[in-house]
Amino acid sequence: MGDENIDKQMLQELDERIQTIKRAALELQEYSGGIQAVYRNADRILASVKMLEINVSDVLDVL
Amino acid sequence: MPKVRGADVYWNPITETLPRDKLMELQLRKFQRLVGWAYEHSKFHRQLYKDAGLEPDDIKTWEDIRRVPKVEKSMMRQIQRKDPFPYGDMLCVPLERVTEFHQTSGTTGQPVYQADTWQDWEWWSEAWSYIMYAQGFRDKDRVFLPFGYNIFVAYWAGHYAGEKMGCEVVPGGVLDTEARILKMQELRTTALMATPTYVLGMADTARRMGIDPAKDLQVERILCAGEPGASIPATKQRMEEAWGAKVHDHVGATEIGAWAYECTAQPGGLHVNEALFLTELEDVGTGEPITEPGRRGKLIITALDRMGQPCIRFDSKDVTEWAEEPCPCGRTFRVIKGGIVGRADDITKVKGVLLAPSAIEEVVRSFPELGDEFEVEVTKKGDIDAITLKVELRPEAEGQRESVEPRLVEQLRLKTNLRYNLEFHDYGTLPRFVLKAKRFKDLRPH
Repeated sequence: MGDENIDKQMLQELDERIQTIKRAALELQEYSGGIQAVYRNADRILASVKMLEINVSDVLDVL
Repeated sequence: MPKVRGADVYWNPITETLPRDKLMELQLRKFQRLVGWAYEHSKFHRQLYKDAGLEPDDIKTWEDIRRVPKVEKSMMRQIQRKDPFPYGDMLCVPLERVTEFHQTSGTTGQPVYQADTWQDWEWWSEAWSYIMYAQGFRDKDRVFLPFGYNIFVAYWAGHYAGEKMGCEVVPGGVLDTEARILKMQELRTTALMATPTYVLGMADTARRMGIDPAKDLQVERILCAGEPGASIPATKQRMEEAWGAKVHDHVGATEIGAWAYECTAQPGGLHVNEALFLTELEDVGTGEPITEPGRRGKLIITALDRMGQPCIRFDSKDVTEWAEEPCPCGRTFRVIKGGIVGRADDITKVKGVLLAPSAIEEVVRSFPELGDEFEVEVTKKGDIDAITLKVELRPEAEGQRESVEPRLVEQLRLKTNLRYNLEFHDYGTLPRFVLKAKRFKDLRPH
């Protein structure tokens, strides 16, 4: 990877935490009961989670 | 945990220093995923691929990517204004998921509408964060954005990326140029984003107000877009001298996203953000792929993670070439040499000679006696093309026309192989532009 400090294990640890946030945000939506203040803010979290996946999780797939 | 090496240099050292074989594997996987998504969710794409006899599973290697039909801007114009209104059936999500509308400026015809979901809008600002971090923007920066905040995507994503990066963003929307300059002076803004035309125009206005941008303002870096000027050495030098700031270029488009950027190493070109985009260079005439440096072609671009209204093998018509060497900054993303040198439909034959308008700009801007504005007109008299270049002498160069004219004729001949009718206009009389300048006019009957 051109940098000894970034390795697959580090990305795996990051990805585990990303997936934890994703599960929590999806659960929030599921349990929102239609409350927009919950559902929409969870939606924004999921958009940010997607950026984390692009930057970390997707790369893990090719290492 | 200790800071990862490279975290101070790259927005994302994970992707920006990824070995090229891994990067290409990542791009192929994302491309496969995107084509499958579009096939499943967009009637337009499904039909396009079926007509080409292609199923998403057919894409197994990099060579297979070229089997996917290209999308032209004219195709987008044909489907829009129909259901789902106004985007047409290129849309891959229900309309309720769309949170952003933008459109192209329409300088080459009917505007194209672009839908983005909130996730896509996050992606836009992510792409801009790669750019801004590579150009030295940090959370200590106070960034001034002197643009109209309207239906054109322009610097909207720069605003959001600035916020994401922790910069302090100053929206200079509905202010005139004088008010913007005064606000920048008052707030001691450290960074600016604008088209090269407007960067030079602001400097000119500031000087007329008795303000020297290089001495009286604190701008350290300028991020340019919208025109090739910041990759044209003479224009970049003019801007850097006028503002006493580093000037960096980037390239983007409404339909594509912000896909290439100059880094602080300034290798004479722009990095393609290959973590988010797949770019293919192909011969303008034959369509054959160009992988080697030094040969110009046009770019076909895919935005790998934009899902609402996807951009898959879009014919950008941007002309460039691959650079020879990797960049000393350490990024593994490929570099396009000299940025975008023109558009395939701008590079036109005049008197049988291929002419890129950027070559004229490079010559004009290398003459300190000439003002920043110029205009080129191509006409036809009988069977013969004529090309007229209109320029302005700066006030301080008044009376130097006789010295400038022969040198200008000679440089134009050397750089473009053409002879020009030169017109010298009074300073301040040629049109001034706030966003993209339209300086090249082909008035020949077609």
